[in-house]
Amino acid sequence: MTITRPLTREQADAFGRELDALRRSVADDLGERDVAHIRRIVRAAHRSEAAGRVLLHVGIGPLSFALGTSALALSKILENMEIGHNVMHGQYDWTGDPELASKRYEWDIVCTGDDWRHSHNFEHHTFTNVLGKDRDIGYMLLRVTPEQPWKPFHLPQPIAAAALALFFQWGVGLHDLRLDELASGKQSPRQLARRARPFLRKAAWQLFKDYGFFPALALANAPRVALGNLLANGARNLWTFAVIFCGHFPEGVTVYDPRETESESRGQWYLRQLNGSANIEGGRWFHIMTGHLSHQIEHHLFPDIPAARYPEMAPKVREICARYGQSYCTGSFARQLGSVARRIARLSLPGPARATRRHPIADPLGERRQEAISSASTCAPGVGRPPRTGAAPSEEPRGLPRRGNRAARHGT
Amino acid sequence: MKLAEPFTTAWSRAGSTLLRRLFLDRQAAFWLSELDPVRSLTGVRAEVVGVIDETADTKTFLLRPNARWRPHRAGQHTVLEVEIDGVRERRCYSIASAPGQAPMAITVKRVPGGRVSSWLHERARPGLVVGLDRPAGDFVLPTPHPGTLLLLSGGSGITPVMSMLRDLAARDAVDDVVFVHHARSRAGVIFGDELAALAARHRGLRLVIRLDDSVDGPPGFDEARLADTVPDFANRSTYLCGPPAMMERVDAMWTAAGASHRLASERFQPAPRLTALAGDGHPVPVALTRSGRELVVDGDGSLLDQLERAGERPPSGCRMGICHTCTCRKTAGTVQNLITGEVSSAPDEEIQLCISAPRSELQLEL
Repeated sequence: MTITRPLTREQADAFGRELDALRRSVADDLGERDVAHIRRIVRAAHRSEAAGRVLLHVGIGPLSFALGTSALALSKILENMEIGHNVMHGQYDWTGDPELASKRYEWDIVCTGDDWRHSHNFEHHTFTNVLGKDRDIGYMLLRVTPEQPWKPFHLPQPIAAAALALFFQWGVGLHDLRLDELASGKQSPRQLARRARPFLRKAAWQLFKDYGFFPALALANAPRVALGNLLANGARNLWTFAVIFCGHFPEGVTVYDPRETESESRGQWYLRQLNGSANIEGGRWFHIMTGHLSHQIEHHLFPDIPAARYPEMAPKVREICARYGQSYCTGSFARQLGSVARRIARLSLPGPARATRRHPIADPLGERRQEAISSASTCAPGVGRPPRTGAAPSEEPRGLPRRGNRAARHGT
Repeated sequence: MKLAEPFTTAWSRAGSTLLRRLFLDRQAAFWLSELDPVRSLTGVRAEVVGVIDETADTKTFLLRPNARWRPHRAGQHTVLEVEIDGVRERRCYSIASAPGQAPMAITVKRVPGGRVSSWLHERARPGLVVGLDRPAGDFVLPTPHPGTLLLLSGGSGITPVMSMLRDLAARDAVDDVVFVHHARSRAGVIFGDELAALAARHRGLRLVIRLDDSVDGPPGFDEARLADTVPDFANRSTYLCGPPAMMERVDAMWTAAGASHRLASERFQPAPRLTALAGDGHPVPVALTRSGRELVVDGDGSLLDQLERAGERPPSGCRMGICHTCTCRKTAGTVQNLITGEVSSAPDEEIQLCISAPRSELQLEL
């Protein structure tokens, strides 16, 4: 079995420069075709939503109900994934089109755009897979990697995961409210109350829209419309949960200790993004339905490059990874999802944190090798779980930023 | 009803909040533009309905604006927005047509290497939909208009004063107007035929065309020649628009004659007020347009670091150019991207503070 090569800081920086060059070449090439793509998706989402609502509102019988709900679910998925997530990342800010401006975009789920931009664009993408800093690891609820210490509330986590899946938009919406910090005392109830206000307002409007306003418009068909909206929301929740959980939790993805990332260079940041992410194989329409999160690796390397470019960048990324001896974790949807499900089940029980994954920080030349983990890995065949890079302790600490400044929105 | 105004404002604000919260504003905008790309609930748009070749490098674009357009006053300008290879670009152009004249006209000279003017010349055809701003500008004829007028222009500066002349002609109010225009050659006189026709029709109009390639005197603007041609220039209400060099000389000439209060000017390019490219480590003045603060940053490191050391707290996140939290609009000035090395002086540009360094005086929307 091939072992992924640990890289020295200099090698990591060379790796980073090659990725920077790739990014630059794509960024310089952005133009009409990229805008045309996102506008096509926006058009498809609007038409699908209109068709879905009309079928639900004026249709009679199960066929129009099923078609209407499906069309509505499709539009919600497109709006959430290919449009919302990507636009809010700033992938289309270069166009100057106010409808594609990242800071102004609001998406059609209970999570507010501001909360998302803060917890996802900044926190998750900066601290990706750093245990204790990336709050996306298990969403502070589930134990998805053996490095996370086991707690008794993990025991029923398969049920918790299923519930999270069904109500995923609520999990996403509540995420930046940092309820876990309330429990630990880092956040006071007063702070939480202030923080929660925009979320509560948006959630109230969303509930009114889906279960008050649109059903009321349909008069006699009100219950049908309400149910259709509920099922469409649920379908979107399940889909987005599945795709997102495949991004960082399948077997073969690396989780980091904060001390290892203390003086991380840009090249080492790239390596962590690569080793902390996993792709899903699929066809063109699958990629679009996932908002190109099927290319989680490319997304984490280049979060603000329009996602529709990831499929053409992927072969070049793979080639660079191969030359630097880095594994590239990818697999079919079934395999990745199955791997995640098995982990959630297995890790609900206490078990040893895998000692083989940890090694001390003092490995400045990256000479220590990392043993490949078992063949339960779903990554590209023949490649084991990649080790982390050695961080030279004598380097001038650049470090990850301590916290972003949300410009006094919460005053914490 | 005046009394009802606060209620109607509150009502319409509540209405737009409702639409926005239900995402119906987005839906409405989408379906409206599907039906007719010119119509819009929020923006001024116009359809190109004709293209006229004025000279070898100048074209007039006839525009039909949508219902959100407000009529302009002669001499005002608008901002034209077009999408070039996916990117929206905005440029200011004087409206050359008279108020009330339909279709509206803007006249664009092709600037060598100019992104927008070149694109318009090459690609703008009837059917193209462009964005516009509401007309703006103080370079207008007052009402009632002054008894004696001097309209003074050079090159493409003819556009706003032509609007004024067309307006006066349409109202049959050409009482005593001297129109002096400077151009390189006869073929380069924009609106040449129309000017001749107006001069023939209106006895109050005196037309003087100064060509660079003619033999009677020095090329370009000349103070003595103008004083000769228009001896009472200091007593006329003068409206001036032309190349910066010419405008400076006219300004000086009018000041020397004690008549600067009768001279109104329209500047196409803002007067350069930025210092030359500063390097690393040089203190740089920064004006924050939203808070109204003006400060000096020390020139060391990223703009985000420098602003923070100067006491500001702009929103920030990853500090490595990934999350776009620190993105803000640079209305004027030159910055360098610390990752790519690219230097950019474009006005109204979104920049990421954490990976930009100032290379000149800056104006930021913070």
